[in-house]
Amino acid sequence: MNLEDELRSALRRREPSPDFTDRVLARVSAAPAPHAARPWVRWVAALAASVLLAAGAVEYRHYQGERAKSQVLLAVRIAGGTLHKAQRKVQMLHTAHRSVS
Amino acid sequence: MPQRAPSAAGALDFAGLVRQHQAMVFSVAWHFLRDHALAEELAQEVFLSLHQHLATLESPEHVQFWLRKVTANRALDVVRRQQRRPMVSLEVVPEPVAATSAGDPMLGETLRKLVATLPEKARMVVILRYQEDLDPTEIAEVLSIPVGTVKSQLQRALALLRAKMSRSHGEKAI
Amino acid sequence: MKTAAFLIAFLAFAGLSAGQQVKWNYDKLAARASETVDVSLDGSLLRLATKFLSDDDADEAKVKKLVAGLKGIYVKSFEFKKEGEYSAADVDAFRAPLHTPDWQRIVGVHSTEDGEDVEVYIKNEGKNIGGLAIIATEPKELTLVNIVGAIDLDTLSELGGHFGIPEVEVEKKK
Repeated sequence: MNLEDELRSALRRREPSPDFTDRVLARVSAAPAPHAARPWVRWVAALAASVLLAAGAVEYRHYQGERAKSQVLLAVRIAGGTLHKAQRKVQMLHTAHRSVS
Repeated sequence: MPQRAPSAAGALDFAGLVRQHQAMVFSVAWHFLRDHALAEELAQEVFLSLHQHLATLESPEHVQFWLRKVTANRALDVVRRQQRRPMVSLEVVPEPVAATSAGDPMLGETLRKLVATLPEKARMVVILRYQEDLDPTEIAEVLSIPVGTVKSQLQRALALLRAKMSRSHGEKAI
Repeated sequence: MKTAAFLIAFLAFAGLSAGQQVKWNYDKLAARASETVDVSLDGSLLRLATKFLSDDDADEAKVKKLVAGLKGIYVKSFEFKKEGEYSAADVDAFRAPLHTPDWQRIVGVHSTEDGEDVEVYIKNEGKNIGGLAIIATEPKELTLVNIVGAIDLDTLSELGGHFGIPEVEVEKKK
């Protein structure tokens, strides 16, 4: 038994209750509309929202960058490894050829 | 780089997003909390938050990243707040009642129960790795912890699970 | 006359700058593979990645220099459960797009001992290398690499030789 395969099988995604989506949409519809706040409250809220927005976007950009970096390293490892293997085989052939002739 | 529209993800159908991602969100919560009602409640809260923040998300990929991050961190918060599952080492957890063998349908349930006994962070790392197929770098970004910590958590968790499963399986190697 | 010369030069430059990915169709093999590694990085993702590669780590600094200016890196590696899951015709289909005047095969190695074959192609753009393609086959694995842009083969090979993998010394027979 391969533990990692068994974990993937044991932890596969499962659906929530059949009416889950309907209940979420019902709650969204029922959520009270925010009442108008005083101007300075709205300004502070907008500033807080823009900070959160920046933080969310920055976080996601960092995630994208780290992911791209690990993909580049993987690609170079595979491509470089394959090229290196080919070069080694050519070198070995040349060495064998020289020793024979 | 995808083109940035002011609310590219916001233009997406919210109901469609719920249907598309509900299994992922619910399953992370359920595998972590092992409580169906609580997991559904948490999943609903996550989607309510998504509705509020949708306009700030840049793309479908950003939505997925956001949902994983929020779900994982809220689930961790639930456990910390309620202290529902005290952290115990695997050694004091009772052995599964019936010994299971490879191919036994109960094996999955046994593994899920054992995963649920792991310390919180390690448990979430295992769930993100094997349910969501995230690599350590991605898990580190979701949980905002160093990649090295993710790798060592994963290694230790697998060793503990392996040891526990080996004991319940007798001498059969995993 | 001057306008015509400028136009020709501009078009030539545009052609050199365009850099095209090799059009390989992986669908058949992907369906049969037990595991697939898939890396697709276009110019914008490569530029993003270089911002995260460290100048303090010797290998990452080399990789950073290697990929700077590249227009794309595409790697597909398929692993199969048993031998015979892909045919010579499948491999020929991957060679076909490289049978054009601008592609030149510089290395072709066939090993009867371990069944590993490697073919390396470079794309000529005037006096410069405009791209690299590698087709590597083993009994249970097939790897395709396409790099778009001017790539330093020596540095790439050097990195592949020791990047996290112990170097194997080639014994010199006397």
